[in-house]
Amino acid sequence: MIGDEERVQRRAALRALLARPLLTAERDPEALLLVRRHVTELRDWLARETGWRLMVDSATARLFKTAPDARDATHPARGKAGEPYGRRRYVLFCLALVTLERADAQTTLGRLAEEVLSAAAEPELDFTFTLDTRAERADLVAVVRMLLDWGVLRRVAGDEEAYLSATGDVLYDVRRPVLATLLTGARGPSTISAPSFEERLTELMAEPVADTDDLRNQALRRRLTRKLLEDPVIYLADLDEAERAYLASQRHAIVRRLEEATGLVAEVRAEGIAMVDPEDQLTDVRMPEQYTDGHVTLLVAEQLAVHGELTLEELKAFVRQAAREHTSFWRKGVTEPGAETGLLATALDKLTALRLVRVADGAAVGLPAIARYALAEPVIKGQ
Amino acid sequence: MAFPSQEHQPFAHLSAPNAAFYREILRAFARAKERFIVHLRPEDVAAELRRDNDDALAQALDKLREWGNLRADADTGRVTSVEDFHRKRYLFQLTHAGQAAEQAISFYEDAIGKRGALQSVALGDIAEQLQSLVILARDADPDPARAHLLLLSLSDRFSSLADNAQAFMASLRRAIDFSDGDVAGFIAYKERLIDYINRFIADLANSGARIATLLSELDRFDHDRLLRLAARREAADAVPDEEETAEAYVRAEEAAFASWSNRWRGLRDWFVSTGAGRPSQARLLRQAAITAIKQLIDTVGLLNERRSGRSDRSADFRALARWFAEAPDEAAAHRLWRAAFGLTPSRHLTVTAATLEEWHEVDAGVPWSEAPPIRISPQLRRTGSYERRGKPNKVADRSQARRLLVEQAEREASETAAARAALRTDGPVLLSELNGLDPRAFRLFLGLLGDALAARRPGETEVKTVSADGSMEIRLTLVPHGGKVEIHTEDGVLTGPEHVIEITDLTAGP
Repeated sequence: MIGDEERVQRRAALRALLARPLLTAERDPEALLLVRRHVTELRDWLARETGWRLMVDSATARLFKTAPDARDATHPARGKAGEPYGRRRYVLFCLALVTLERADAQTTLGRLAEEVLSAAAEPELDFTFTLDTRAERADLVAVVRMLLDWGVLRRVAGDEEAYLSATGDVLYDVRRPVLATLLTGARGPSTISAPSFEERLTELMAEPVADTDDLRNQALRRRLTRKLLEDPVIYLADLDEAERAYLASQRHAIVRRLEEATGLVAEVRAEGIAMVDPEDQLTDVRMPEQYTDGHVTLLVAEQLAVHGELTLEELKAFVRQAAREHTSFWRKGVTEPGAETGLLATALDKLTALRLVRVADGAAVGLPAIARYALAEPVIKGQ
Repeated sequence: MAFPSQEHQPFAHLSAPNAAFYREILRAFARAKERFIVHLRPEDVAAELRRDNDDALAQALDKLREWGNLRADADTGRVTSVEDFHRKRYLFQLTHAGQAAEQAISFYEDAIGKRGALQSVALGDIAEQLQSLVILARDADPDPARAHLLLLSLSDRFSSLADNAQAFMASLRRAIDFSDGDVAGFIAYKERLIDYINRFIADLANSGARIATLLSELDRFDHDRLLRLAARREAADAVPDEEETAEAYVRAEEAAFASWSNRWRGLRDWFVSTGAGRPSQARLLRQAAITAIKQLIDTVGLLNERRSGRSDRSADFRALARWFAEAPDEAAAHRLWRAAFGLTPSRHLTVTAATLEEWHEVDAGVPWSEAPPIRISPQLRRTGSYERRGKPNKVADRSQARRLLVEQAEREASETAAARAALRTDGPVLLSELNGLDPRAFRLFLGLLGDALAARRPGETEVKTVSADGSMEIRLTLVPHGGKVEIHTEDGVLTGPEHVIEITDLTAGP
């Protein structure tokens, strides 16, 4: 039996890894310390329950997560202001890594830019990048900032703003050990020669097929555990036959182990399971949330909880109406014509990311868990 | 520095067509000189080189004489054959310039051929000699000869250590590139590095600290005095003639002293760091070793990755760049990002404590629509924010606030005084007679009661205490068989055993 203090620390360490699968001494010193203190237990638990590798040394901890679901497009890389990456930034990110893989122990932003330019010019890469416009430079800087954030680069002197305004350069240390931990797929992409995008993705995520009953069950258990650890809601309808059968018989054991290890609480319902966090920490999309976008999201969720399905036009009308009612609380400009489109898009993105809503064919459909946000009679205490 | 005159070209043979032959001849002379043999006949040279005494040798010797490496004197010794008698016979010896050139060349070859080995013994020796110097420096009148000898051997030991260290640093700094998978070269390098670290760096850390301490101790004992002694002796050596003026002697002494001071400073800089900006050589050596170890580990990692047949990372990144470029849409790119890098955070819904309580009553099999929904703060639902937001105060005009505070303080003080006045009992009263207190007075009373009950020891029936703020005194006596009493106030009903109570307002005038 482990002590309470021990359990609390171990949960905090596991949560830190789930929230940030690559921890560095510079950025997350406390979390890294916790992970290092409990590395043996964490490594055992993760290997047993998820099959994920955990690599820890004095300066970094890396949990090699794999995506539990190839269809989920709600986990983009994000820039400084939370904006999702577009194609150009993704390509630049990979080209920057190609360049750094060949770089010496130090490099500058200018040098990196030149080498990315020449890498972008390779004939088999259908990609134009010239660095001529400020927007292109800004994209490169965004990518470099992400590399800094993950600890692949360490800034030694200068700052990126100076580079953007073409008045200076920045010097970085390149940290190869971190660079070496970025890829998580079971196979190196360069060993995959499939022609179509979907095939490539499938091969990249392919796991070896188990050939005994025991191993098959183990693989099933790990798949389900990963889904429950990573995703907000698991609907039975989205699982395959084998997974459903396994969950029906083993749900209790899986859920108990997860609750014990993470401090999440299982919300078990007829349609599926959600592992919820009473502390509202272990997530990148929060709901309910304060301020305009959070409020719109909440109100839209309530509408969908009541009506089940609404067309985008109906929802826009609703948001327009809500903007007029809440104009004193919301940010400026929400009542201007057309503003509702952006507000609604943000709200639906959040709800989709949380697996509460599915948007298709000009309508938004509430998924079963949207019922969590139905209006209840408020109880006023102390009257 | 006197320059050799035109006819002296003692290094010319190095760039001559058969330089190797000339070198051999001159080395033979140098070796002979080590055996204290000054003159060599051509046949002696031939024997030394194990070759015939032929014309080539005669010409070579003549050439060397021309360049000024050798000096030829007529040989007047007996001969044993007619040819010899007719041949010009000479005795050869190294000239002063030739000798110097020879030394320079051998020094150069040594330096180039040095393997950058580090003698940890040298460190021990240096520490020992410094220790002796410290003892000597404590002497009021140190023996000049001893001081000089110690300094000489110290400087000798130290300069060889410094040279070797320099060579080693250079060989460590040589960028090691094992990208071609030169495993043998790598292993040899690894052996050397580990050996070096074992033998030298550990010693450097230990002896280095000791040496640094000794050096600072010597500074306290005025090491310049010792240097001065050594300089004086050297000057005496350099100016042996009595006729030389005293001035030349002083000049020589100053020059020697400057040179010793310079060497001493070198020694200090080697072992003693002066601030963060100027780390000592010893520290730099240690850092170089650490860097080399890091590189070594990186290289091991690289070699390992190659051996385990992992795909080449930069090819992987290049392939991913291509896939991103060819992704059908942004959504596809996001999916690829998550699958390839796995750097995305976990995502979970949240729940409030109140709702969690309600869920405990719910069976696991109910649909979401029938389970209690999340309780969301009405404030958040109405306004989108947890905290009330009034009009933001633009100007920080605090006068009104201050006046409000003052008024509030005054009001509270007067209310408290009123409450105290209301509580003041004229002599003892029964608890049950305190009915109808206004809320403020009652709260004050509860505080007093608490103080009194806290001061009462178990078993006592009477207690007298002063309230925590010292403004009131309360005397409380239990009434035997008084039963329970009830005090009705706006806040509720207080029940308790009947007491006699006397409250005195200590702040009020008598």
